[in-house]
Amino acid sequence: MADAAMADAVQLRHKRFFNLGRLVRPTIGVLVIAFLMWRLLTVLFIQQAYGADTWVRFAVSGIILGSVYAVIALGYTLVYGILFMINFAHGDVMMLGAFAGYFTLEAFNGAGILNRSLASSILSITVAFTVGMLVATFVAIALERIAYRPLRTAPRLVPLISAIGASLFLENMAQLVFGAARHTYTNPEVAKRNIGWTLMVSGKEVLITYTGVLTFVLSILLMIGLYILVQRTKMGKAMRAVAEDKEIAALMGIDVDRVIANTFAISGALAGAAGVMWGLHMGIVYHFVGFLPGIKAFTAAVLGGIGNVPGAMLGGLVLGVIEAMGPAALGLPFQLKDVLAFSILVLALIFRPTGLLGEVLTEKKA
Amino acid sequence: MKYSRSLSILMLTVLVTGLLVAGCAPAAKPYECTDEWGCAITEKGQTIKVAYVGPMTADYSAFGTDISRGAELAVKAHPTVKGFDIELLVEDTQGTPEQGASVANKLAADPRVVAVAGHTFSGSTEAAIPIYEKAHIVMMSPSTTLADLPAIGPNVYNRVAFSDKLQGQMAANYIYNTLSVRKVVVVHDGGAYGKGLVEGMAAAFEELGGTALGKEGITPGETDYSAPLAAIAALEPELLYFGGYDADAAVLVTQMAGAGLGGVKFFGCDGTYGTNYLDLSGDAAEGTYSTYVPIPPSAVFDKFKVDYEADYGDPQGKLSPFSPHGHDATALLINAIEDAALESGDSLIIPRKALADAVRSIKDFPGLTGMLTNDGKGECAAASPLFMVVENGEWVEAPGQ
Repeated sequence: MADAAMADAVQLRHKRFFNLGRLVRPTIGVLVIAFLMWRLLTVLFIQQAYGADTWVRFAVSGIILGSVYAVIALGYTLVYGILFMINFAHGDVMMLGAFAGYFTLEAFNGAGILNRSLASSILSITVAFTVGMLVATFVAIALERIAYRPLRTAPRLVPLISAIGASLFLENMAQLVFGAARHTYTNPEVAKRNIGWTLMVSGKEVLITYTGVLTFVLSILLMIGLYILVQRTKMGKAMRAVAEDKEIAALMGIDVDRVIANTFAISGALAGAAGVMWGLHMGIVYHFVGFLPGIKAFTAAVLGGIGNVPGAMLGGLVLGVIEAMGPAALGLPFQLKDVLAFSILVLALIFRPTGLLGEVLTEKKA
Repeated sequence: MKYSRSLSILMLTVLVTGLLVAGCAPAAKPYECTDEWGCAITEKGQTIKVAYVGPMTADYSAFGTDISRGAELAVKAHPTVKGFDIELLVEDTQGTPEQGASVANKLAADPRVVAVAGHTFSGSTEAAIPIYEKAHIVMMSPSTTLADLPAIGPNVYNRVAFSDKLQGQMAANYIYNTLSVRKVVVVHDGGAYGKGLVEGMAAAFEELGGTALGKEGITPGETDYSAPLAAIAALEPELLYFGGYDADAAVLVTQMAGAGLGGVKFFGCDGTYGTNYLDLSGDAAEGTYSTYVPIPPSAVFDKFKVDYEADYGDPQGKLSPFSPHGHDATALLINAIEDAALESGDSLIIPRKALADAVRSIKDFPGLTGMLTNDGKGECAAASPLFMVVENGEWVEAPGQ
């Protein structure tokens, strides 16, 4: 009896909540659209603060930033797709990859190979990427083994807390081992920051840096590679099967533990590559360098539709461009760019919880 | 049951003993504190606690580490007051206002802390001053330059660093008259120090007849400022004036050329001077400016440099320019404690108001940074800023000053 009464009460509350919800969403929508229109109109047509060259610079900066976000976001989305768990330590895996690349380049520089010839410079960068990806892969596999696998059957909140703990552990360990100071990447002379092709836009030079182009092209290649891996290979098929249903996949003879370990390895390798890109293009690495990009990439993954590989790429690029152009387009101070990024997360969750390319999640995944 | 009975007997014993001790205590201490701010009492065998507070870890740790070494050397040179040892507590703020306030609360809770040589960084100090003001702990900051600070701590705040009013004014003069720049963009890191400095500089620059645009804020601690820099490039400035610290300045200078600010001068401040900035920004540092506080050559300063290198391995001035200031702030405080402390039986009494007055009335104290005299409102600085420029990877004095 009491149970039935309580169930009624709960239902009543739900009803009220949803009624209110029906009003809240359009109100927020109208307010946001009105605000955007007002700001865009003021900035673009009345103030006309920036010329075409500046907008191109913003876009270039945003696309480069966005492609790094996209590569990190792929790691979030892969792990979420399979385990329905958010790997908050992912940004710190990227940080360790960045450090591995940093020390590799330092070693090559110390040995005098870094700038000997064009081929040796290319070799140094390739090795830096390889080492960065290997170290990050190793860390990601170790994380899965130590922090997540023992909790596989625990309630979903438990591995999440474990992930936050792992993130803090990695950050503090890096601070202890590498020191609290920042380190500057030593780029080979041919790929120094601040050199590149110049583009003429409305009579002004816009610099397209080599490191930026490298970052963008490499991230596109990684995305394509990952897409092929997931869609066209046997391992990808196994991953998709495990994502669909772990028990059934196990019954079909798929080694679930191995597939999950592989997923972490791939997400780690992507994070490592993102870390080395970050170091080469932005130039500075330190123990906390992965935190904010990690959170932003998570936002990007949600924006694109978490669990969805092309969605993560799109989400990353969109977020990067919004971050770079948004404050200028809305006439806001640049200090508010993070506010803007996270507002997008909130708006995405309100208006399109499944993300830009998101599938409608089944009961179990949601 | 048995346990609880023995527990209650134990508690009773403790209580009775406590009462007896407390009852006896006043008889043992004949001294009565008449100071309106109360007294810090150091008993025989205890130490006099003086604290240095600054960023010892994280991005800006070079400043804190360096200044704390200066403070340690000052204590080493003057280790006791009337037979009582001085103990230097070094507390970490990571450079943030939040940590600054929590360290201040921690120190204020310790009745034996008599003075603070700190904090380092204006934001962290701004948050801490009201706490020390309430706890009546006298401060002598080695490096905070924000112009408004003495007004926030009218009774306890003192500094050996110059005021940013002076730095902003002088920077504006130098940029307008010597560099012949007419259009600048000012950028700050959103912190109290950077914001205060650039606002003062912009006002002074406009007064001279120049144009100071922007007052753009960046988020400190990031590694990508290309978008805000592109927005600055749209204003087409001749020079970018930055108020903030070295780690962020290094990111800005390395990304300026890429964002369309190639050929635009970068002018930093006393927060961006040091070798850490050179290490982080590499070639991009070439031709950029900052502010340094010259230390007049003297025999004591030479000895300080030798002691510093012998004790810590690094050459003095490598981490930051402020270790002599750390030394002077601490030495001034110890000197004032020497003046104000009273002996009473076996203990040393330090009346807090008398100590603050002693600090305020310092006159012609021979410090490393010059002859220090407190103007009665907290300003003790002897040295004025000197602008520096990077040439071939080294800081050299900027021409035409």
